[in-house]
Amino acid sequence: MTETITIIIDGQDYQVPRGMNLVDAAKMHGVDIPVFCHHPKLEPVGMCRMCLVELGSLAVNRETGQPERDENGQPVVRWFPKLQTACTQEASPGMAVRTDSAAVAQARYNVLEFLLTSHPLDCPICDKGGECPLQELTMAYGPGQSRFIYDDKMHLAKQIPLGDLICLDRERCIQCARCIRFCDEIVGDEVLAFHERGRRLQIITISDPPFDTKFSGNTTDICPVGALTTVDFRFGARPWELDEVASICPHCPVGCNISASTRLDRDFGGRKMIKRIMPRQNEAVNEIWICDKGRFGHHHSRSEERLTQPMIRRDEEWVPITWETAYREIAAQLARHGRESGFLAGASLSNEDLWELRKLARLTHADCSLGVWPATMGGIEQVTQVGVGVGTRLQDLGPDSAILVIASDLDEEAPIWWLQVKQAADRGAKVVAANGRATKLDQYATVALRYPYGEAVAALNSFAVIARRSNAIDEAFVAARAEGFAEFDASLKGARVPKPYAEAAQALLGAKDLVVFVGGEGVTLAQHGELMQAAANLLILTGHAGRANNGLIPVWPGANMQGALDMGFGPQATHDLIAQRPAMWIIAEADPVAEDARMAEVLVGAEFVALATQFMTPTAEKAHVLLPVQSFAEREGTFTNGLRRVQRFYMAQTPLEGTLPAWKVFAHISSSMPGGAKPRIAPGLVMRDITQHVLRYAEMSYPNLAHVEPQFPLVGGEDMYYGGTAYSNHGGLGVQWATNAEKEKYSLAVRPVDVARPRLDGLAVVPVRLLYDREPLFAPSSIMHQRVPAPYVELNVRDAEALGIAEGDAVMLTADDVQMAAEARVNSHAPAGTVLVPQRLGATPIPATLVECVVQKMEG
Amino acid sequence: MLAEKHAERIEKIFAKYPDKRSGVMALLYLAQEEYGWLSEEVLREVAELCDIDPTQVRSIAGFYTMYSEKPKGKFWLQVCTDLPCALRGADEFFSGLCAYLGLGERGGTTEDGLFTVEPVMCLAACDKAPMLQCNFHYHENLDLEKVKMLVEQWRAEAGQGDGAVG
Amino acid sequence: MPGAWLLADAKDPHRNGVLKTMTHILLRNRDIADIWQFDTYVANGGYDALKRAVNDLSPDEVIQIVSAANLRGRGGAGFPTGRKWSFIPKDAPVKYVTVNADESEPGTFKDRELLEKNPHQVIEGALIAAYAIQATAVYIYCRGEFWDLALALEERIEEARQANLAGEDILGSGWSCPVYVHLGAGAYICGEESALLNSVQGVLGQPRVRPPFPAQVGGGLYYAPTVVNNVETLANAPWIILNGADAYKAIGTPESPGPKIFCMSGHVERPGNYELPLGITFRELIYDQAGGIPNGKKLKGILPSGASGPVLRATEEVLDAPLTYESVAALGSTLGSASFILMDEDTDMVWAAAKMTHFFRHESCGKCTPCREGTYWLDTIYERILRGEGTARDLELLEKVPQQIMGLVLCALGDFACNPVLSTVRQFRDEYEQYIGLAEPVAAEA
Repeated sequence: MTETITIIIDGQDYQVPRGMNLVDAAKMHGVDIPVFCHHPKLEPVGMCRMCLVELGSLAVNRETGQPERDENGQPVVRWFPKLQTACTQEASPGMAVRTDSAAVAQARYNVLEFLLTSHPLDCPICDKGGECPLQELTMAYGPGQSRFIYDDKMHLAKQIPLGDLICLDRERCIQCARCIRFCDEIVGDEVLAFHERGRRLQIITISDPPFDTKFSGNTTDICPVGALTTVDFRFGARPWELDEVASICPHCPVGCNISASTRLDRDFGGRKMIKRIMPRQNEAVNEIWICDKGRFGHHHSRSEERLTQPMIRRDEEWVPITWETAYREIAAQLARHGRESGFLAGASLSNEDLWELRKLARLTHADCSLGVWPATMGGIEQVTQVGVGVGTRLQDLGPDSAILVIASDLDEEAPIWWLQVKQAADRGAKVVAANGRATKLDQYATVALRYPYGEAVAALNSFAVIARRSNAIDEAFVAARAEGFAEFDASLKGARVPKPYAEAAQALLGAKDLVVFVGGEGVTLAQHGELMQAAANLLILTGHAGRANNGLIPVWPGANMQGALDMGFGPQATHDLIAQRPAMWIIAEADPVAEDARMAEVLVGAEFVALATQFMTPTAEKAHVLLPVQSFAEREGTFTNGLRRVQRFYMAQTPLEGTLPAWKVFAHISSSMPGGAKPRIAPGLVMRDITQHVLRYAEMSYPNLAHVEPQFPLVGGEDMYYGGTAYSNHGGLGVQWATNAEKEKYSLAVRPVDVARPRLDGLAVVPVRLLYDREPLFAPSSIMHQRVPAPYVELNVRDAEALGIAEGDAVMLTADDVQMAAEARVNSHAPAGTVLVPQRLGATPIPATLVECVVQKMEG
Repeated sequence: MLAEKHAERIEKIFAKYPDKRSGVMALLYLAQEEYGWLSEEVLREVAELCDIDPTQVRSIAGFYTMYSEKPKGKFWLQVCTDLPCALRGADEFFSGLCAYLGLGERGGTTEDGLFTVEPVMCLAACDKAPMLQCNFHYHENLDLEKVKMLVEQWRAEAGQGDGAVG
Repeated sequence: MPGAWLLADAKDPHRNGVLKTMTHILLRNRDIADIWQFDTYVANGGYDALKRAVNDLSPDEVIQIVSAANLRGRGGAGFPTGRKWSFIPKDAPVKYVTVNADESEPGTFKDRELLEKNPHQVIEGALIAAYAIQATAVYIYCRGEFWDLALALEERIEEARQANLAGEDILGSGWSCPVYVHLGAGAYICGEESALLNSVQGVLGQPRVRPPFPAQVGGGLYYAPTVVNNVETLANAPWIILNGADAYKAIGTPESPGPKIFCMSGHVERPGNYELPLGITFRELIYDQAGGIPNGKKLKGILPSGASGPVLRATEEVLDAPLTYESVAALGSTLGSASFILMDEDTDMVWAAAKMTHFFRHESCGKCTPCREGTYWLDTIYERILRGEGTARDLELLEKVPQQIMGLVLCALGDFACNPVLSTVRQFRDEYEQYIGLAEPVAAEA
């Protein structure tokens, strides 16, 4: 813990952590020191000079070591002759500060006058007007008018696109460099910079594509003027017309807290619509950042392609039916097929949807399989044991921490986690980036470990072997909590560990905290359980379980995979269903036909398929009844993120007429079944059912989930100039469920390890995930289309040469029953013997993980 | 391509520094020498060599006055007109030179693309004013007659199609 | 009239004694024409100081000698050099010496002569500093316009390296220290030490926030502890090591010992560099040494430290004042790098101030608000006044805008920019009033 010290601000004593930035320390106690360039998440630069204060220190008698006192017994302060920037001071004992003197007021006035001489007076048409730090601080401290001649003002370009998402107004820029520093320090994408110098200083980007970062939107939040605005929101609305609705991003397992800025809008028939998505502060989740997919990927909720009418297929025609008819039809079919019914849930359903679907399944027959889609990653058992501890904050990982990321391209799959791991590395955390190929994390990793695809389990098992052989076992923890240690130990005999694996393992051992991210890239479902157990072994044996900032974080595909698993759905059940081919299917918010070549045939062979969906997807084309359900924006619910934090989202947009929330649809079908109960009237009541039946959700009542506590740094509200326009959190911080490791009564299973290294034959397919793809919830956001590539495959130079394929060639990839056309990218990115195939870029399914394939150049 | 043509010089530049980024200034000089000026394409080439984003290279190129992101004349004449030189007639010298080359009072580039004349900030040759630098080489203790002779000399050099200048 | 000033100062036998025996300490090229050549330099005692330091002295002893000599930085700030060296943490694995040869102050051209004509002495001085802090490398930051000079300097360094005086295992001592030249590209601000470090690192040449200071971990070149010294400062080091602190202190005054190069430019009969002991008077320098003002004109204004210090009116009091850091400060200006720009009686001081203001606007890096905006506005006001469109309000702004800059900026450039403005407005107000028509009878108000 940092030591607490006393500093004096405006004559009053305050307790603050030693070394804390003075602006932040004052802010904590409600003392405003105005700033433009300083931001609590960025390194101080002392550029704007807005935070000038009088600074001094308590005089100490050199002989006695006691504070000197004046004739009145008051401590004597020695003041610096010149004003000092508060943002470049660290709180130290005896520090004295005056923020309320005439000299300080004059300095603020001066800086504002200077800034305003070069700033246009276009507040009435500026997007930032109403939430603008420059406006705010000018009102508080600035001049009423300028002494300089307005005719001499510089006139500069006002609409410079910085890439396709962000627009720069050069006249408004006050050169605080927050945007540049965000890109450099927080993200590490040095794609913005100053050009020229002096008053001609201007923001530029010539990266390819321009402003090439997945986090560009955040610069508009921390820009203290209207210089940077998003193309998505530009001239869209005035901030004071907007109603804020707390929500959760539906795009990935990070579960970023977002705020939907909404208003009743002419463009939406006078109904309430989302005008923009902003970050909402949750220091344990996304802090105050969101990625561009989350910010700009909200357009699906108002897409014209949305389905708004229940329909049934009659003679290959879609015929509209009433909801009532749909419920009765499906209920009748379920009654008829009974245990021959399969249930498949997508990873973007809310917990309430999932619970009602599960209830429906149980009402149909106790043996019905509950599958989840995508069915690529398992390991809920290991998450239950050693998932990352309650209270974990990735931003707290630093010099004492170690982080392993295995089988995931975090940057593409969970950008904010990537950002946090990168920053932890910057703070000195040991990071091992282990995958079959290079990823962006490598440049920040202590060790970038390359294993041949197929060997992930052997590689991670090796870590436990090394831990044991290096005496890095936490004996006490193992003795108290682990079971199966003897069998584990026995399995090590003769285990040979290749040097690179040993070196990577060594980098992780000995840290105070250890977090392991496990993804699913290049790992089959069968291997995935072993991979998760290998991670669990390592964490248990080294004692990194059962406490905050330690444990396992699965990089699930989808925003609520964790919730689906918690509600009893699972990937093995999905594979069982595909094998069993039940006659009746209920599928919700999943598009398996687009992703798995077998599924079209499976569904065509079924007698009845009901699909709850927002869009007419390839799966919808194989269904018999379509149930138009609502997007995350149109209703209430909860998602559980990859750190097992259950978080509420609220209704942000008037639902499209004719749509219903999925939970309600399932509840109505249930009530049409024999023995079905009356539907709940609100999702909060569904959650109450969950709290009563799902043990780990016992604390997840809506009031609990809506609980908020003060967070630091302060953002939004009165403090926009300080933390930016990210919204403060009024919707709830969410609640994490505790793992077995956190409860003394449970023992934790360690299993024997196998470090045998399987060999792959031929050319193996490795599906990879891209952040910007064509999945149904993202494709309608046309603003992002330039960032989504056409379908391609990546081949190693060696393989490509052998196959006579060159960069840019059109190729056909064939495996089992899959045929997909794509453009070839030839590089050293793909290891020899594998083809990297991005998921969901085209309309056809891609082959499954590690399937052998043939790639041929297409003629003509 | 710089990498092929100047492999040895590039290697020497990088050998001086613990990281490649520090080579950016020397590489910009090299690129300017090779291509005459720093187009966006050239900036990208330098970025590739230094392993940094081209935005950073453009930022460096734009900060310093000796890099040019626009084409200059074959002879880039920078005349110091700061106070010490101006006290010794540099302003008149500058406008006289401009007039001789048929340029406006703020200088510019001659129509034949041979000469660019610009005022420049102090070049640490105050005791030898008026002075100018031509393609980074100093010519000191000048007057209008002397510089006219130099101009004709350069013109003649250019006429011979000789690459070596200054 | 060489020697004339010696007679004028014969009343000070202390200083006189030294100067009788030595004509130049720094500008030895004036006495030995080919001293830029390695062999000539060595034949005249060159590198003996480095050998003495490396072979006979500990790094701490070198620092003690330089501290005892009270060598003060010649770049402008006058900070004690030995103290600067002593700040470097001993246990840091990587340490640097960076030589500031970004000489860009209008009126300053002394480092150029040293590097061009007596380069080995600078290299030797840098290596002595490097030895004193046990540096792992030396970078000489030359302003980009010193293009030809820098190429030649690299050859001189190579000569030293081949003689085992730089590079690997210097003089068999086990200490290795390569010397490199880094070329700037035209930016006055890179003479500011932290901007200079950024520039070497290939990041934008803007000043850094301090602390951490260059001598501290996190504040120097590549964030390692670093000494940044001016060229002229280091050129003193070999002589001090060879002749000792006492001999050095015998030159000049106790507070400002040693020789100093004075750069003379503007309205002066014999412009150029003059190496003289600190403590001679303005009059001796200007009239006895540099030959006075051309065409028999009277001297009006003196800029003793280039464009960045306040201008002095050439009164008798000023002319008789000694040139030390302290006494020039007492007159209300600063000795800085001792770059004298002289202006005769016919000089338009408003125009002169405008020239300097334009310089600072052009060179402001733009990082901090008061300098970026303030220099822009000062320059704009001057343009207006020179166009004949200035008003009394503009004159008032010229006095007030500097108050919004001075002491409130990130580095000294903003403070420098205010000096010519304030000093001319205060001392030559009548000339401003002529420009804005205030000298006319106040008819409009009647």
